[in-house]
Amino acid sequence: MSYRLIDHTADIGIRVHAPDIAALFHEAAAALIDILDAGGAQQEVSIDINIDGLDLVDTLVRWLQELLYLIQVRGLRVAGFVVHEVYETAVTAVVYGRYTQTPLAMEIKAVTYHGLKIQKCAHGLETTIILDT
Amino acid sequence: MEGLALKRIDPYRLEISRKPPMRTWGIIYANTAIERMLGNDEAIKQLANVACLPGIVGPCLAMPDIHWGYGFPIGGVAAFSKSDGIVSPGGVGYDINCGIRCLRTSLEQHDVTPKLKILLASLFSNIPAGVGAINKNLKINRKELQRVLRTGSNWSVQRGFASSDEMEAHEELGCIESADPGYVSEKAIERGLPQLGTLGSGNHFLELDVVDLIGDESLAKCFGLYKDQVLILIHSGSRGLGHQVCDDYVHTMMSAAQRFGIELPDRQLACAPITSKEAQAYLGAMSAAANFAFVNRDLITYYTRASFEAIFRKSWESLGLSLLYDCCHNIAKFEHIIWQDKRIEVCLHRKGATRALAPGDPRLPWRYKDTGQPVIVPGDMARSSYILAGAEGAHETFFSACHGAGRLLSRQQAKKIARKKNPLEELKRRHIQVIAASRTTLAEEIPEAYKDVSEVVNTICDAGIAKIVARLRPIGMIKG
Repeated sequence: MSYRLIDHTADIGIRVHAPDIAALFHEAAAALIDILDAGGAQQEVSIDINIDGLDLVDTLVRWLQELLYLIQVRGLRVAGFVVHEVYETAVTAVVYGRYTQTPLAMEIKAVTYHGLKIQKCAHGLETTIILDT
Repeated sequence: MEGLALKRIDPYRLEISRKPPMRTWGIIYANTAIERMLGNDEAIKQLANVACLPGIVGPCLAMPDIHWGYGFPIGGVAAFSKSDGIVSPGGVGYDINCGIRCLRTSLEQHDVTPKLKILLASLFSNIPAGVGAINKNLKINRKELQRVLRTGSNWSVQRGFASSDEMEAHEELGCIESADPGYVSEKAIERGLPQLGTLGSGNHFLELDVVDLIGDESLAKCFGLYKDQVLILIHSGSRGLGHQVCDDYVHTMMSAAQRFGIELPDRQLACAPITSKEAQAYLGAMSAAANFAFVNRDLITYYTRASFEAIFRKSWESLGLSLLYDCCHNIAKFEHIIWQDKRIEVCLHRKGATRALAPGDPRLPWRYKDTGQPVIVPGDMARSSYILAGAEGAHETFFSACHGAGRLLSRQQAKKIARKKNPLEELKRRHIQVIAASRTTLAEEIPEAYKDVSEVVNTICDAGIAKIVARLRPIGMIKG
């Protein structure tokens, strides 16, 4: 998985990199699922996700917020997911999994916008996301 | 913003000079010990970012427990003009009205110590705590939740979860009247409905303390505090409902900021003019979430009293479990401040700060009229906590004080240190018993992760903002 935790005094920071924008959205979601320990579920349902944002950064945050809502509130545990398409102001994806309230590793209050930028790096694209815990 | 310089004004205050695009200067309350802990903390940059927002009144302030947050720094206080200022969900945070309350008891340490283990077990069983905790014992429907959101602690009184005579010991009497549940989203309701009356996880806790030092005999007497007395601290907030309200309105405010041409140094500071419909909607929803948090702490108090009654086989009234005060930490409210010798009403944002009214303030209940507002400052799991009283100098912080010790280490750094030791055993060696829903939380919350709360409190008291009434020593706690 292409993410690493970065030090943040109050919360959790994750730095994610990927070769292209769709892969970046995928890796950021995979990081969130890993931190929450919400993966490894059986596939019983599939959920289509269509998110609109104001721009790319906003779309990324809203995509992760939607996943967080599905996991923490609706009790979805993830078997897998596919990011179909990422545009400047939209993302379409499908998430597979099972609704079950198995315990999560931690509670994340929100995915924040704090200092969030998507920028070029040696691996392609990179972003740092602060999660409020 | 690069090249920000901190200048020491006096032993308790540092200044961040105004530098474009800042609209005002910043003041950080810090003695030299706190200054050393600041280092190159991102929080300084965050404070400077807040100073860039339109309609800011006076300096942008940071309490000595300041640390890196998102948008506003934690420990930040900022006032905005009612006519040309803004309101920002990032200035309140996700855990709207996260706050703390203190319950007195008429018990002393020797009464509690023999029963501490069983008492903590009962509290842990009665109060849902931990990641995703839900309250299976409280059955309320959506209509009733609307009443919670609209009326706050009045609902607790009507339902018999709190007594009417303790309402005045809540900030805003336990109900922010501008609350409008109509502005709270369906998602937020869905998140909040099962979580009312739950402690949560992370830094939320219920703690039993013993008064180990009286700082001011006369104030302590007025607050009903004395040496060796057992007190209870409860720290929790608006749970998922508040988190969702913040999420919803950060989105709304980002579009609004674009529409009103507000330049944001950080997207998390998304905001709208107070007079706009977006701001009014946010204030209605945020106040509703704040009312949810008051009720959440009322319910935790009710369950706490039930545990004490079961273990000590006496009514909570005869055990003296009365509310000293309930303080909000994360909130935006219209409040009166003194600025340039005038009393003006502003939209005051506190993110990780406590209101601290000075003696004589008309907003104080009669019992605290001459003492100033009780300010409850929890420390880390092993060291002290404090009860302070707002002092005459509090006008310079717009009647605000510190809200805790303030984090020093990231959760990763804390876990790294915790791996080399057994946090539970270390606490036991200090005669502190802990029940935690998660070992990870315990590792993240080790005492070393926090500043020394005594340095924080000394700074705020030496600056004349508050006075020390009592120092507390923890003996037991439950954590999410």
